[in-house]
Amino acid sequence: MSHYEFEEEEFTSQFNGRTVLRILAQTKPHWKWVVGFMLTIGVVSALDSFFTFLSMQIIDKGIVAGDTEALVRIVTVYGLLIVVQAVNVFGFIVLAGVLGERVQYDLRKKMFDHLQDLSFSYFDRTPVGWIMSRVTSDSERIARLVTWGLLDITWAVLNITTAVIFMLIINWRLALIVFVTIPVLVVVAAQFKKRIIVQYRLVRKANSKMTGAYNESITGVRVVKALGREEQNLEEFGGLSSEMYQAGYRAAWLSALFLPVVQLISAVAIGSIVFFGGLQAEYGAMTVGGIQAFISYVTFMLWPVQDLARVYAEMQHAIASAERVFSLIDAEPEVTDRPDAVDPGTIRGDIEFDHVDFYYEEGKPVLEDFTLAVKRGETIALVGPTGGGKSTIVNLLCRFYEPKRGVICIGGRDYTGLSLHAIQSRIGMVLQTPHLFSGTVRENIRYGRLDATDEEIDGAARLAGAHDFIVTLDGGYETEVGEGGNLLSVGQKQLVSLARAILARPEIFIMDEATSSVDTLTEALIQQGMEALMQDRTSFVIAHRLSTIKRADRILVIEKGKISEMGGHAELMRARGHYYQLYTRQFRHELKEEYDPLRAASPAAA
Amino acid sequence: MALATSTSSYDLKNAVSSNRLRGLWRMMTGFRLKYLGATLSLALAATSKTVTYLLLRHYVDDVLGQGESAGTLLLIALGFVGLALFEGTFTFLSGRLAAQTAEGVVLRLRNYLFDHIQRLSFTYHDHSQTGELVQRSTSDVDALRRFFADQAIGVGRIVLLFAINLTVLLNLNWKLALFSVIVVPLIVLISVFFFKRVSKAYESYQEQEATLSSTLQENLSGVRVVKAFARQAYERDRFETDNWEKFQRGRQLLMMHSLYWPVTDILCGLQMLAGFFVGALMAINGTITVGTYMAYTGMVIWIIWPMRNLGRLIVQMSTGMVSYGRVTEIIEEEREPLTAGTYSPNGDLRGELVFQDVCFEYDSSSPVLKEISFRCEPGQALALLGSTGSGKTSLVNLLPRFYEYTGGSLTLDGVELSAYPREYLRQQIGIVEQEPFLFSRTIRENITYGVGRDVSQAEIEAAARAAAIHDVIATFPDGYDTLVGEKGVTLSGGQKQRVVIARTLLSDPRILILDDATSSVDAGTEGAIRAALEGLMQGRTTFIIAHRIQSVMIADLILVLDKGQIVQKGTHQELLAQPGIYREIYDLQTRIDIELEREVASVAL
Repeated sequence: MSHYEFEEEEFTSQFNGRTVLRILAQTKPHWKWVVGFMLTIGVVSALDSFFTFLSMQIIDKGIVAGDTEALVRIVTVYGLLIVVQAVNVFGFIVLAGVLGERVQYDLRKKMFDHLQDLSFSYFDRTPVGWIMSRVTSDSERIARLVTWGLLDITWAVLNITTAVIFMLIINWRLALIVFVTIPVLVVVAAQFKKRIIVQYRLVRKANSKMTGAYNESITGVRVVKALGREEQNLEEFGGLSSEMYQAGYRAAWLSALFLPVVQLISAVAIGSIVFFGGLQAEYGAMTVGGIQAFISYVTFMLWPVQDLARVYAEMQHAIASAERVFSLIDAEPEVTDRPDAVDPGTIRGDIEFDHVDFYYEEGKPVLEDFTLAVKRGETIALVGPTGGGKSTIVNLLCRFYEPKRGVICIGGRDYTGLSLHAIQSRIGMVLQTPHLFSGTVRENIRYGRLDATDEEIDGAARLAGAHDFIVTLDGGYETEVGEGGNLLSVGQKQLVSLARAILARPEIFIMDEATSSVDTLTEALIQQGMEALMQDRTSFVIAHRLSTIKRADRILVIEKGKISEMGGHAELMRARGHYYQLYTRQFRHELKEEYDPLRAASPAAA
Repeated sequence: MALATSTSSYDLKNAVSSNRLRGLWRMMTGFRLKYLGATLSLALAATSKTVTYLLLRHYVDDVLGQGESAGTLLLIALGFVGLALFEGTFTFLSGRLAAQTAEGVVLRLRNYLFDHIQRLSFTYHDHSQTGELVQRSTSDVDALRRFFADQAIGVGRIVLLFAINLTVLLNLNWKLALFSVIVVPLIVLISVFFFKRVSKAYESYQEQEATLSSTLQENLSGVRVVKAFARQAYERDRFETDNWEKFQRGRQLLMMHSLYWPVTDILCGLQMLAGFFVGALMAINGTITVGTYMAYTGMVIWIIWPMRNLGRLIVQMSTGMVSYGRVTEIIEEEREPLTAGTYSPNGDLRGELVFQDVCFEYDSSSPVLKEISFRCEPGQALALLGSTGSGKTSLVNLLPRFYEYTGGSLTLDGVELSAYPREYLRQQIGIVEQEPFLFSRTIRENITYGVGRDVSQAEIEAAARAAAIHDVIATFPDGYDTLVGEKGVTLSGGQKQRVVIARTLLSDPRILILDDATSSVDAGTEGAIRAALEGLMQGRTTFIIAHRIQSVMIADLILVLDKGQIVQKGTHQELLAQPGIYREIYDLQTRIDIELEREVASVAL
């Protein structure tokens, strides 16, 4: 439901040859399969036409000639061919079907792999729902086109061709008369299918609007009731559901008209067979069986024509899907390893921001000429108003983004010379809005270091102050945390993600408001552990808790992308500047929280 | 809109039945004639198809090569076209009538469900999940639509084709006819069996698809964590496992199909061929004519091949019936009567409330409010102070009759509250929450939402000004037409609150409930909100829910709640004068200032 709005993009109506070729190229590693299903479907369509031919022979050579022996012969061949046909049907279902699944699999794998390499900036501007649709429905649509689509086209074209050949063999004059109707049939069918597809798109649009209305009225049902707005809501919804009725009815109506119209066209063809065939039969130029065969060919030619029309319409859709999928695959990661990137084995050492500029959007600078030198092992606290650039500084340090100007050095060398893995695998980061994955608590902590033993996980959890609450959970460490960790409170999620970072034994430690939702009591409990952790590591702490800030070696007040104040706690307090104001305000707030008897009465205000 | 009203006369509650087929039949009330028409048209179309074969028989036996004139030939040719026209007309008519039925039935159902859900009680909504309700209102309703539009009619089509063609064949030559349907029962059995299994395999395929999607979604929403721990390789493995599993399940599904279709191809094909053979022998013997043989070869197709799809339709119909059950589970629930009440008030309330030993519990196990007694005069401000779970919100939820008190007496203007119609109470009571829910509509629509009368732009702006939100709205490019929510602007908690204050000013209720509205979320706008709220409180009986002293000081009466009971009651001055929670909280303020001074002094040294 979350991504239905991304489904309804208009598709390009142009026929882009390069995209088509690239779509076809998806089957290249499995070309044998493609050849296989093309061959089997070829046999199937040829046999389809041949069966009609045999039926004619039953009449002409068997019944009319009164030849029982010939009849037995024809029927035997017919029966054997039915079995051959079935084997081929088996073949193309397996070949095309499995290949279809395989192409989907390949495309999804390719996209997912690529997504892992893409930079934050890509995810900043691309909604999750959009990506989801590409990986799920678009990959399916493309796979269908290169397998079933291709198969249907082959079948249809061969079926028509073989039918045409047989008709020409049986009676070329009559055949030519019948052929006049084929283009009419194709054009009418294509027009119909196009309109039907448009109608169904309207149905889907109306449906997603209606779903949205349901969703909202149920989510906001308390407000609806409180304001007594039921009548008016129903009336508004009536508009939406009527729209849905109209769209659905029109689509069904058009679909219902389609078959009769094409049948009527082929009835005209049958009429001419009856008439001209009858005339020819007068002087023996046409047999009874021949007429029978012609009628069969014309009647069953409807299906391939219909298929062609459908595949054509679906193809437009699939090309649009492919364009979006390829745009994802082609997206270049902005932050990527240089060709000569190295992993020095450690990134311990001094860190330096040298005249760094950075912006997310051009014209809106976040950091300007930012310079900072941090000694190995130092703990830096970053404070300041929201949007001042604190998080950007640590994002740059992790190389989620790279400076637009200036250089960041780790251990004395420009960090763009190091591999991303060398940096990111040695930095431990804990975020204010921690993200856990569905799975158990233990699995989530282990995410920090995959080969950690249970004892080590236990130890990390204790250090992070998470152990105490984990053991009170019903399943202890094996408790499922739910999607996004939503079965835990925010404070609990923060503690688990802290344990996860501790377990990773990072060389640089970053906490971005990491314990903002942890209650004061627990906060006090984990202080000691945190201090031990930060002692021999370079650490960056974005925090508003006084206790955390005060521990830092250096406090940086960041405002509008610049360091407005820097120094130790006492030093900055004496200066009575921004830090002093921030501190006193925060102090007041924290004390209020701490002493609030009403808060204390309610358990675990998370 | 006309469509909505013309079909809404039938109460769908009557369509609830433990017998699902009967229930579905009742759901069709008002459309049965149409559906009957659809079925009749189908029969006519099928008949004309059969007649086409009989015309072919006549043509082959009596016309072809008999030296008939071109005129006769033309007549017969036109006969074929005419029959196709006749068949086409009725095929179309049948499709059209079936669509009218299906779309009409679900239109009525959708409107009914929408209205029904918004009229179910608070208790129901407390226990139900939004996603589940939406799912039933959309996917399950659509399953019912397909039941009427495609499946029931599809089964009808197959059965009619079979019956009509078989009847005619029996008349042409009963031995041949019976010989031709030997395999049909087997095909139907295999088909039902196969599609049952396939639908299970398909479900497991869909499940895996859902698993894969959620793995992907988690990876995408946790992209920061993945990168922060450089866990790309691990994530790739995880996705690979799920992706591969989906491939495997898809392959299994295909293997089932790859057996079913060829096997039934052989069965149907050989049956048909056997018929051809016997028929041809009969034709050689002279038992039947060549024309009869040809008509037979045409008709026999329609009694054999469609049977392969019968199983699919039958299995799909059973899922439609499951959906029927899921939908009627909602319909069965009782609505909250909005207009019911033994007392019909005239004009506005004065707002005098008397609580006498009021008790309340959500379910009989745990009392939420215990013997609450107090009195509130019209126009007074009454404050409820207490921790989370102390019963503050439960208490005010009794006033608009969101829930019913389970003991004691609660009178409003001297009349027992339970005698008032809910609709009236809710018009008279306004609620402002700390972080209120806004709808994904324009700001204008949100301000006028539920006001229940036409409001001029000038009035809207005046209310927005009084609520200190006009200036914010003016900064948006689309002003009052700016969309709120996912597809529009994101408003902060304080801004949402002020939108609701504007709305409440317009609807002008006599009783006002401020649910934690005074502990502002944005420090910057706290003053503005406070002023706006004070304006709103003028002349209304007001309930203030809070857990901060500053918010309740101005109240005429303060109730301190703990575990569902009133532990302290009085004005600010009175409560300060007595020991208890209230004074403790008040003292805190002073203590903080002293400690801060001490702290600052200690570094300054």
